[in-house]
Amino acid sequence: MAFARTSAGSRSGTRASRVNGVLLLPALVLFLPLLIGPLAVLLDESLKPYEAGRIGGTEGAELTFENYTELADPAYVHYFLDTFRIGLIVTLAAILLGYPIAHFIVRKASPWLAKLLIASLIGMLFLSLIVRIYAISMAYGPLGPFNDVSWLFGIDPRSPAKTELMVIFGLLHTVLPLVAITLISTIQNINPRLEDAALSLGAPRWKAFTSITLIMSLPGILSAGIIGYAFCISNLVVPLILGKGFVLFVSNLIYFRFSEISNFPSGAAISILMMLISLTIFYGLMRLVRDKNGEARE
Amino acid sequence: MTTVLDLQSIEKSFGAVRAVDGVSFDVARGEIVALLGPSGCGKTTTLRLIAGFEQPDGGRIVMNGVDVALREPYERNVGLVFQDYALFPHMTVAQNIAFGMKHRGTPRAEIPKKTAEVLERVHLSGVEKRWPSQLSGGQQQRVALARALVTEPDLMLLDEPLSNLDAKLRHHLRIELREILSKTGSTTIIVTHDQEEAMGLADRIVLMNAGRIEQIDTPERLYAEPKTRFSADFIGQSNWFEGTVRGDGADGTAQVDTPAGPVSIPLVNGFAAGDRIAVCVRPERITLTGPDLESTAPGQTRVAGTVDAVEMLGSDIRVWLKTANGAQIQSSTKYLGGPRPKVGTKAAACFNAADCILLEAEGKRE
Repeated sequence: MAFARTSAGSRSGTRASRVNGVLLLPALVLFLPLLIGPLAVLLDESLKPYEAGRIGGTEGAELTFENYTELADPAYVHYFLDTFRIGLIVTLAAILLGYPIAHFIVRKASPWLAKLLIASLIGMLFLSLIVRIYAISMAYGPLGPFNDVSWLFGIDPRSPAKTELMVIFGLLHTVLPLVAITLISTIQNINPRLEDAALSLGAPRWKAFTSITLIMSLPGILSAGIIGYAFCISNLVVPLILGKGFVLFVSNLIYFRFSEISNFPSGAAISILMMLISLTIFYGLMRLVRDKNGEARE
Repeated sequence: MTTVLDLQSIEKSFGAVRAVDGVSFDVARGEIVALLGPSGCGKTTTLRLIAGFEQPDGGRIVMNGVDVALREPYERNVGLVFQDYALFPHMTVAQNIAFGMKHRGTPRAEIPKKTAEVLERVHLSGVEKRWPSQLSGGQQQRVALARALVTEPDLMLLDEPLSNLDAKLRHHLRIELREILSKTGSTTIIVTHDQEEAMGLADRIVLMNAGRIEQIDTPERLYAEPKTRFSADFIGQSNWFEGTVRGDGADGTAQVDTPAGPVSIPLVNGFAAGDRIAVCVRPERITLTGPDLESTAPGQTRVAGTVDAVEMLGSDIRVWLKTANGAQIQSSTKYLGGPRPKVGTKAAACFNAADCILLEAEGKRE
């Protein structure tokens, strides 16, 4: 897993690190103009005072934190909470559904069935996001044949909660194959004889699975979760179309700030704040992955 | 002697392939039995059937008097050492060894003491806190052995236990493994394709071929008295002379007419004049002499030829002789110094009637 191997080589010799430094140069050359530069501009914009009717913050005015402090208002906090909460629900659902699928493909399915399932998972990812969103909207929407499916989750199809369910379905449609494909390689890397060994040592099947395969999959599950969560909380189109104004993510808020009311400083401030929160979450999760991995491979 | 394991006509097919086809043998308490055969002969399937990872299509697997053929692996008291050791990489050595004890009901307080004891028994004390990845191949093998031994299983199953180690270490560990197993008094089945490993470790060898048992015997008898052509070819090297028994010769011997010339064999029951038989002679029973066939003693066979190839192995020297009819005869002798025989020189292969192993000629048995 790309996320899981970051700890390697941190204590290499000085010569090796000098070589590594040289090898990093092309990446730095790309990073400066594409990532650091625009972010610096965004940060600068977020600290400028907003003037109604003007495109962009006031030039030459004194820098201010006003754009940030106003975000403490419950009306704004609610966007952040919705984004992270729904993202979490979708990611957990994708792991709970994706793990058995991946496990079945690796351990139980015949070679041709495994190929068929992997091909359909990858095929799902190739489908345009906008196409699936409208397909889901038509199938599960008020006029769709599956409108009443929401009762299975205890949700009245006419209630606002139904809209949230639609957003969850919409995100899950992409996140589930993403997570399942990531987990396939995780489970493939676990020697099936380890579970046999556990059985021969007296562990019942469920115990052999949980204490060996499942525990050894944890770093992979976390990696898959990070990928899925990153997709969810940065999504704009799914809540825009399926959320119908009831469910809106931070991305939608940023989009409205920039495009519809042209409050550039506020849009920039929300972007920076969102970025900081996301980075904190990912940093924490990645430390968790690294600790889990380091334990076994050190 | 009590019987720990009794396999009765075990059968197992995968699709159209009969992997195990009517296999029966038993293992007595404290005995070490080797399941030997080429790859694909069904020995690994037999092991997986005994361990419970597969269920037989037919036959009985009786352990300590109870048929366990349909039981789950964790319901049988069988200890397994896998070819790749299968140590749990996310657990320390101590946790690996404790795993079986926890599930087999060893009181928690006794686990550390038993762990230290079993590690001492496999000559690997003090590694409790290490991770499997920090151990060498030989050390991992000992941990795998300790993990299986510590639960005191009725039967130990070792799958190609030494095949992942380099040649020097393999020989060293083979002696040690034998010592550990006999000290613990473990009843053991070792699955291997390596005849040396089987000969060096086992009290008895079950030789398998194409899902069936060819022969069950002690290593000595398997080598000295192979019952089938496959046995003779699989264990050690063989020279073959096929022909028709001609009748009585001198001093209780008979003559066989073969394409390489007449061969003297001991006169034993079961073969009469006119029978087609195959004579097997081991290379170390063949000495090379000068090309003079006149000095052949009664009961002795000499086949003339030219030296075709010479292989120097250090302690042994191997010479291939090409006979007049184009057949090759291999001889192997201790190397005691001096120059090696020159390729192209005339010589004769010489052996006694007592050195011949007699089998029915091919095609008659099937």
